[in-house]
Amino acid sequence: CRTSSDGKPTEFQPPPKPIIIDKLKQIEERRFLSPEFVPPRGRTDPLKFYIERKDMIQRRKVFNIPEFYVGHILAVTTADLYAKDKVNRFVGICIQRGGKGLGATFVLRNVIEDQGVEICYELYNPRIQAIEVLKLEKRLDDHLLYLRDALPEYSTVDVNMKPETHLENDEIPVNKLQVRMKPKPWSKRWERPKYNIKGIKFELPEKTMEEAKKWRQPWLEFDMLREYDTSKIEEKIWKEVNEELKK
Amino acid sequence: MMPIWTKSGKKHAVTLLKVQDCHVLKYISKEESGGKTAKLLVGGKNGSPFFKSESAMEIFREAGVPRKQKISIFNVTDDALVKPGTPLYAAHFRPGQFVDVTAKTIGKGFQGVMKRWGFKGQPASHGQTKTHRRPGAISTNKASKVYRGKKMPGKMGNIYRTALGLKVWRINTKHDIIYVNGSVPGHTNCLVKIRDSKLPTYKDCNKNPPFPTFFADGDEKLPEDLYDEEVFQFTDPSVTYT
Repeated sequence: CRTSSDGKPTEFQPPPKPIIIDKLKQIEERRFLSPEFVPPRGRTDPLKFYIERKDMIQRRKVFNIPEFYVGHILAVTTADLYAKDKVNRFVGICIQRGGKGLGATFVLRNVIEDQGVEICYELYNPRIQAIEVLKLEKRLDDHLLYLRDALPEYSTVDVNMKPETHLENDEIPVNKLQVRMKPKPWSKRWERPKYNIKGIKFELPEKTMEEAKKWRQPWLEFDMLREYDTSKIEEKIWKEVNEELKK
Repeated sequence: MMPIWTKSGKKHAVTLLKVQDCHVLKYISKEESGGKTAKLLVGGKNGSPFFKSESAMEIFREAGVPRKQKISIFNVTDDALVKPGTPLYAAHFRPGQFVDVTAKTIGKGFQGVMKRWGFKGQPASHGQTKTHRRPGAISTNKASKVYRGKKMPGKMGNIYRTALGLKVWRINTKHDIIYVNGSVPGHTNCLVKIRDSKLPTYKDCNKNPPFPTFFADGDEKLPEDLYDEEVFQFTDPSVTYT
């Protein structure tokens, strides 16, 4: 046994207690409300949204619609009359999510044999058999429509990709990829501040970037009539939807 | 307006119409009205009883009903008469029926001839002097006058129009909502008159409708949602083709 410099036997020092980090308890439950549940601003009767929500919840009880954002890679199988085996499977990156209520849609993009293909699916269409999330990653923008003018390598997704696993309450990783574009002309002038795109690596001359700043509208963020605070509405709807789904 | 899917996977757009506090107000006999059939006055949404003349309020007082915002007249045969004061519900209609919907169209104000009547106007360039959206010629030389009813600029919209032959897909008895195929004239939350279709193709479509009307205090207990046979209900699993 070890002896100290004095020559006397040292007292027994118990080893330090291990620190147990219970990951399940520490991380707060992530609240995700699908954007089509939030009613748009308008003069329609809230009763119409309530009835639409009942139908949407009813469909979600029978068919699982996973949580996904723009930038995820999804595989959708639909029932198709004119396809072999009457079933059609398409894999692609989600470019945009539009529509509210039962008519909510999402557009998937993929490049198949050098041809870019975009398909717009309706979330609540009864013909959809399954939606699988293959890869989870958020991107810097709300929509990825600029992928149409980007080099095709950024839109290609392997059709036989295996689904990636992820924990329930983990943070969804944000991919800060800066996409390289094809030479101009583009379908939209993405360098203009109106689109507020952060995911493009602009290799344009400085003169074009300076000229694009002319279309800046710095007063827009202070416009009070455009404010639509959805936090309270979202909370109420999230509680309602969760309660119904747990039944 | 909402989408609705059939069991074969087809999508149709559907308008939601709510039956809000409808009561039968008055019965006018055939001789009184001077028409071919008797008439029934039906009132719609409840409104404030103030700022209205006594003669207008008389009808509501006799029926024992709060003042209604919209009153419409229905031609009714003698065997389908209903006592004034009875409430009318959405279950009066059944899924699979065909219906005509009348309402005042959205008012567009004073509009030019291109928007109001769909005229083509004139080209934007190639020497046109101050003439791009004008009607052009309004009559011929031989006529030497302008005919009555000539299409010209004027107030557009805010007139009664009917959408004919709309199918009823679904009825919600709890909230009194009728799901009607396609679009309906009028802005959102406007007052609308719904009537059984008069088109000759749909004459024999109503099989056992509630006659003369659906009485809520009767013995019939309807489920909360009534669907047409072709409608895809969200409690079923996804549609597959075999």
